[in-house]
Amino acid sequence: MSRLPLSGVRVTDFSWIGAGAYMTKLLADLGADVIKIESSAKLDALRVSPPFKDRVKGVNRSGYFSDRNTSKRSMTVNVKNEQGLSLVKRLVAISDIVANNFAPGIMDKLGLGYEQLKAINPRIIHIGMSMHGAAGPEADSIGYGLTIGAVSGLQFLCGLPGREPVGSGTNYPDHVPNPCHGAFAVLAALRHQRRTGIGQNIDMAQTEPMIALLAPAMIDCAVNTRDAPQAGNRAPGRAPRGVFRCAGEDHWIAISIGDDAQWRSLCEEVGLAGREQWASAAGRLADQDAIEEALAPLVARRDTFELMEALQARGVPAGVMQTAADVMERDPQLAHRSHWRKLPHPEMGDAVHNAQPFKFSRVSVGPLSAAPCLGQHTEEICRSLLGLSTEEIAGLVQAGVLT
Amino acid sequence: MNRAAAPRALSGLRVLDLSGAPGQYCGKLFADLGADVILIEPPGGSPVRREAPFIADREDPEAGIPFAYLNTNKRSLCLDLERGKDRRVFKSLAARADLVIETQRPGVMAKLGLGWEALADRRPSLVYTSITPFGQTGPCAHWEADDLVLLALGGLLSLGGYAGGEPVAVYGQQAYAAGSLFAAVASMAAVLGAEAGGRGDFIDVSIQEAVVMALENAAQFYDLEKVVRGRTGGRQSVAGSGQFPCKDGFVYTLGRGISSPQFWVSTVRWLNEEGVEGAAELQEPRWLERDFIASEVAKARFAELFVRFSMLHTKEELYRAAKARRIPLAPVCAPSDVLASPQLRYREFFVPVWNDFAKRAITMPGAPYRLQETPWRIDRPAPGVDQHRSEILEELAAPSRPEP
Repeated sequence: MSRLPLSGVRVTDFSWIGAGAYMTKLLADLGADVIKIESSAKLDALRVSPPFKDRVKGVNRSGYFSDRNTSKRSMTVNVKNEQGLSLVKRLVAISDIVANNFAPGIMDKLGLGYEQLKAINPRIIHIGMSMHGAAGPEADSIGYGLTIGAVSGLQFLCGLPGREPVGSGTNYPDHVPNPCHGAFAVLAALRHQRRTGIGQNIDMAQTEPMIALLAPAMIDCAVNTRDAPQAGNRAPGRAPRGVFRCAGEDHWIAISIGDDAQWRSLCEEVGLAGREQWASAAGRLADQDAIEEALAPLVARRDTFELMEALQARGVPAGVMQTAADVMERDPQLAHRSHWRKLPHPEMGDAVHNAQPFKFSRVSVGPLSAAPCLGQHTEEICRSLLGLSTEEIAGLVQAGVLT
Repeated sequence: MNRAAAPRALSGLRVLDLSGAPGQYCGKLFADLGADVILIEPPGGSPVRREAPFIADREDPEAGIPFAYLNTNKRSLCLDLERGKDRRVFKSLAARADLVIETQRPGVMAKLGLGWEALADRRPSLVYTSITPFGQTGPCAHWEADDLVLLALGGLLSLGGYAGGEPVAVYGQQAYAAGSLFAAVASMAAVLGAEAGGRGDFIDVSIQEAVVMALENAAQFYDLEKVVRGRTGGRQSVAGSGQFPCKDGFVYTLGRGISSPQFWVSTVRWLNEEGVEGAAELQEPRWLERDFIASEVAKARFAELFVRFSMLHTKEELYRAAKARRIPLAPVCAPSDVLASPQLRYREFFVPVWNDFAKRAITMPGAPYRLQETPWRIDRPAPGVDQHRSEILEELAAPSRPEP
């Protein structure tokens, strides 16, 4: 196989749980050698988070963890031990990138802050992905995806008018905004490093990429001095635009009309005799309540997948609200793209993992392997990268350094 | 360091951005770190210029807020790719470009003779990224979709909204954002690969698949435990973690943390020390059992106790008190709260950017990351329609442009 785009890039990875681990997964799936530094004394919390294979808890049995850590290697080492720390520093010396999503100050306390890393390797790129950034009055606050959603405005902005906010229903910032922004920043810094030989420190506050993705509401508030009301599923310029209940238990379809032709096709398909003023976009935008009310009973008697096919055949933007079961077992497009990858894993068998949402023509990017078992590559890394002998490794294991 | 003189991480990189709404954030990420990004607009300008909200609610393409944000640092050139002359201009630009980003339907660019293969003939190092709703091929590749339809088909819509009620889309065209973001990471990696090895690549991004990446652990829950996650809208995920009303709005607390009981122990101590009536029962061992804390009974009881306390306090008071106890509780902030945040002010996160329509600088979200040596920076506001035509054509006429 051809070289992957990030072949030859090495990452010493202290990141864990959500956003950090998902960021370095992107690098690993694109070909970087990502060495996950772990400790059996203080486990990555996702290792012990459900769901588990056969509902049996174990450090190598979490599907959540495995999906977030594909293509990486795992090394267990006690960095609070002097020998352990010196091994990690030797890895830093031969790495391009050091990543973490700890609270500010933790890496410095371990002896692995940016200035210390730079003294070992001036080409090193360090990224710290703390909740609020490295400094400032709230820098010492702790947070997770959901609380980042709350302080960034995401939670507030999602919901139906007049109802309590609902957010995305997930730790959204952990899954898309932060991993992708972090990976992009690191790769841009890598370009600078390759051109100039100079590394650098990257400080990414996990609130900020999320706020960037809410820019229209933020700018609207700043220039028009208002907090825009929650809009539910409606959007300016498209009407009707909503999610309608179909026949059966909790079956729904999203329909979004962008022009008059799509509107006429929708009316024909569901048998709606629309009012005259609904023929134009302006007329529809002005009368959305009545349109939604007229559509609801006509859609409610239809099967959701059958209606989607019929509307798409007429060129109407419509999509079933698919559940996790639907996207995994029913969706022909995701199947065509081989989105779900069964990767062999010693304790989990053939567990299902996400492929990346991009395909390259010349090379086949990852996931290349399931997540590593805890400490799976400790010996291999010590031998091949750090040049330790079997006896030395055994001694370090005995001394509790490599655990 | 003098910021204005600092080197740019992506200087010398030439990007042609033909995108509409699904891809303009991708181009912005490159432009704001110093790449030369030319936004190729259709005659009359990008449709994104007509997207709301507008400055002072003036429905004028010059006043559109999303366009002004998504296109900072880019230059504008209008080309009608249906015309041979304009196609030749585009090909000449592509012959010296590092990256093309486009969001046309599958096959459209190839039919115009502007697909990756045609362009890579003249420029083997070219990376060409196509962002489409469903990818280039497959049974649904030609389906119609907007952001909402993609959130539905990507599964995220099934997790958002009120329990038992209507699913509610995540705000802010997040399907398009996800498509742009994954495209940016893949493109950047491919550009690095091309700079190291000389050969570019074609990257096929599916926005639907990018949305699937946001399903958290829902797919794995189905795979391993055959449990289909649904909408919890405002309700607790497990007893102790969720959104609760307070005196002036809502707070979101993760009293359960991720896996260790530490936040729960702290929460129980907090409520007891505050003398909340009935809080003593939270010390019973069943409040640590996975099945019990997932039950409706447990959630209802916790909410009853917590709300007794939270309704007496503001979100700010609750945040301060929880922070002192190291409990991850956050105020549910409106945009006005975010704009007033002392932390973001300290970091000078929001930046002023000149706006021709407003005839003043307007406030925008700034650097999403701080690269110490090669800072993020806005050098110019989003361009006017076709604003840079003459300088771009002049550069093309010159034999070759020196690396900045």
